[in-house]
Amino acid sequence: MSLSLDKALHNHFQRSQRWGFTWALWTAVLWGAWYVPGTAMWYEEPFVSIHSGDHGMRLAATAVMTWIHAVVVLLFLIIWNGMLGKLRDYGRTIVRFRRISKWYALASLCGGPMAIFGSYMAMGYVGPVFAAITSLFYPVVGAIIARLWYHEKISGRAALGMAIIIMGGMVIYGPGLFGEIDISENYAWLGYVGGIMSAIGWGAEGAVASRAMDVTDPDVGIQCRFSFEILFWGVLVLPMIYLLTDLPILTLLVDMLTSPMVMIWMVLASIAHAYCYTAFYKSFSLIGVGRGEAIGNLYGVFAVLFVMAFTLELPEWYFVLGLILTVTGSFVMYREPAENISTLREVES
Amino acid sequence: MKLPQKGFLLITLNQYSSLWDFELIQRAMVEYELQGHYWINHFSIALDELASAGLINRIGHRLDDGEAIAKDRLLFEFALSDFGRQRMLDTGLLDGVTNND
Repeated sequence: MSLSLDKALHNHFQRSQRWGFTWALWTAVLWGAWYVPGTAMWYEEPFVSIHSGDHGMRLAATAVMTWIHAVVVLLFLIIWNGMLGKLRDYGRTIVRFRRISKWYALASLCGGPMAIFGSYMAMGYVGPVFAAITSLFYPVVGAIIARLWYHEKISGRAALGMAIIIMGGMVIYGPGLFGEIDISENYAWLGYVGGIMSAIGWGAEGAVASRAMDVTDPDVGIQCRFSFEILFWGVLVLPMIYLLTDLPILTLLVDMLTSPMVMIWMVLASIAHAYCYTAFYKSFSLIGVGRGEAIGNLYGVFAVLFVMAFTLELPEWYFVLGLILTVTGSFVMYREPAENISTLREVES
Repeated sequence: MKLPQKGFLLITLNQYSSLWDFELIQRAMVEYELQGHYWINHFSIALDELASAGLINRIGHRLDDGEAIAKDRLLFEFALSDFGRQRMLDTGLLDGVTNND
């Protein structure tokens, strides 16, 4: 074999690996950026007037907000796939529900209602720091499911990198936990269940979506996933809340849609979320679910940096330690030879 | 209705013992009435993704002498794997028995 052919092959695998990690890093950056408009929304009407103890109203507002958010995300995904010329392939994919797109529907249930709802339970009944920490474990769940279900290769280096990144995340958020956990709180167990739901939900989403991406395009896949999420909230959850409770769903909907500030934050959050998820799904097909989700975990670092940029408040000193750990973990993973991840699974050939 | 593009690549590959990427890409571009380098690269990435996932195997490679796509471009020869055939059954791209859908 000539030297130039060897080099061309190595360059090819290295390019795939670099693109995979680049997409995963974009996931983390945009996810971190999402926290600014995502949090700012709660400081606008109608959210700001909802009492923190009024759980029914809070969850109803969250459900309405998540639905509008998913609709706006879908609009940005249509623009993206329209520019890439993939809208027809979206049509060809979503109609094959029984054998293919049902996995995207399941992914939307895992990542949407299960993980988001779980995360809100963790925030509401224990606290936001606890919610952030439990979410950090989602790559472990994703990697285990991908390993058991379709034999994704999790090398020692990938596992070590993942562990260091999770440790880095815990150093960033962990110290805040001491002031937050209150063992005398009777309903705290609901928060712990919610934390587990969020880790399992987000972890499972990657593994389930990858099952459909075996035979479909990732850009198309993410558009399918959000189409199903819109249906889930819009056809099932919101009508059920409307019919079975006396919570003011329609009023909440009108209030949000007519509030310019809510809609500005909503559009900004949706841009970040749409392309964060696009990058997330694209990384899975190049570097695998375990690595893609682990690098995606760097969102914890970017969230702190974006919040710092907007509030001009410096984070605590231990943030630097967490940052060093997460960056080290990422490099441990990235230093894996590109040839190792040119095939991601141990399957019969 | 036509198949999703990756499905078409798999079904085409299933009809031969192996095919080079430029042969697969050419067939896909005829099927979906597309042309230009953007789509050549688009289908190359789709083939890379199928190979990463283990559905197809790279069984050969060479540098393009300028006859296929572009001079000195790396070309791959692909064959469907057993796992790829199983996934085609699971997703209805092939008719047959599956316990995995």
